[in-house]
Amino acid sequence: MNIRLLAVFALLTGISLPVRAEGDIEWRHRATQGAVTLSANPLGLASRTAFYSARGFAAEAIRPYAQACGFSFGMQNGGTATLSTRLADWRAVGTDGRAVRLRLPAEWDLQWAKAHVPEAARIAFRWAQFQAENVFEAGDWIMGMATLEAPLSGSFRLVARYHDEKGNHEIVLDKLACGHDSSAN
Amino acid sequence: MSPVVGVPPAPTLALPDMDGKIIDLARYRGKLVLVNFWATWCPPCRTEFPSLGRVRKLFKSTEFEVIAVNVGEDMETVFSFAATPAFPVLFDRDALAMARWQIMGLPTTLVVDRQGRLALRAVGGREFDDPVIVAQLRELIRQGRT
Repeated sequence: MNIRLLAVFALLTGISLPVRAEGDIEWRHRATQGAVTLSANPLGLASRTAFYSARGFAAEAIRPYAQACGFSFGMQNGGTATLSTRLADWRAVGTDGRAVRLRLPAEWDLQWAKAHVPEAARIAFRWAQFQAENVFEAGDWIMGMATLEAPLSGSFRLVARYHDEKGNHEIVLDKLACGHDSSAN
Repeated sequence: MSPVVGVPPAPTLALPDMDGKIIDLARYRGKLVLVNFWATWCPPCRTEFPSLGRVRKLFKSTEFEVIAVNVGEDMETVFSFAATPAFPVLFDRDALAMARWQIMGLPTTLVVDRQGRLALRAVGGREFDDPVIVAQLRELIRQGRT
């Protein structure tokens, strides 16, 4: 069962099996600013449904999440300064200037509580997400899934804000698009 | 791995192992202990897992131990991934230990020094037998002897 789950997660994250190192992850979108690298892969409905169903979600319960515009994100601190980032400060910006925030893991978890999703499934969900608040020491890196609060049609850019000892910064991923199973997975 | 600011005391950790026996971190006081939080569905966790066994072999068992804390999964799932690990695998089924240890993402690894304090932390995958990390561990063992 674990090999099957790994294969599903590989689909979700875009990695090639076997997984050997973080450098093996094939990211479709990547930006580097100074010592910070931000990466993303679009996620489709079928792969997310399969992954979370295998973790204990009923297909009906996970559907809103699987249908949302979702990505797997990776963020790495290749420098020596401590970085921090809050998902609440990230925005997806459409070509028309419309800005959409990302839905936080805790907001999804409230929905899972109301839907009586089993605790084990909620734990797996919680830790498979890009966490709401992250602190990166030298060499640290984090990956996880996240969804937009509302879909954006066409391409858009993701503006991710982070903080270090010199102040606030932005790193931008261009030309993102919501994933569709026919092309993204 | 990065130094933990203030070197605070390690939170408590007493969880069942793969045989259902409760293993308490306190029993390892006097040893350096590398505590790895992981899950089988987490690709970087799987990648780094073999290096936990390799790094354990580099040190005397009287000086160093590795503990892998699985988050939220059952024994069958873990057993099918790591049937006979060379170190204790503990089960944090409700993720309460993760909360106590203020873990912010998987995998996260902490090194508890011989005085039971949090000395080093790494967020994201590592190869723990990397010479740089091994040197950090050796230095902590050396400091603990003095």
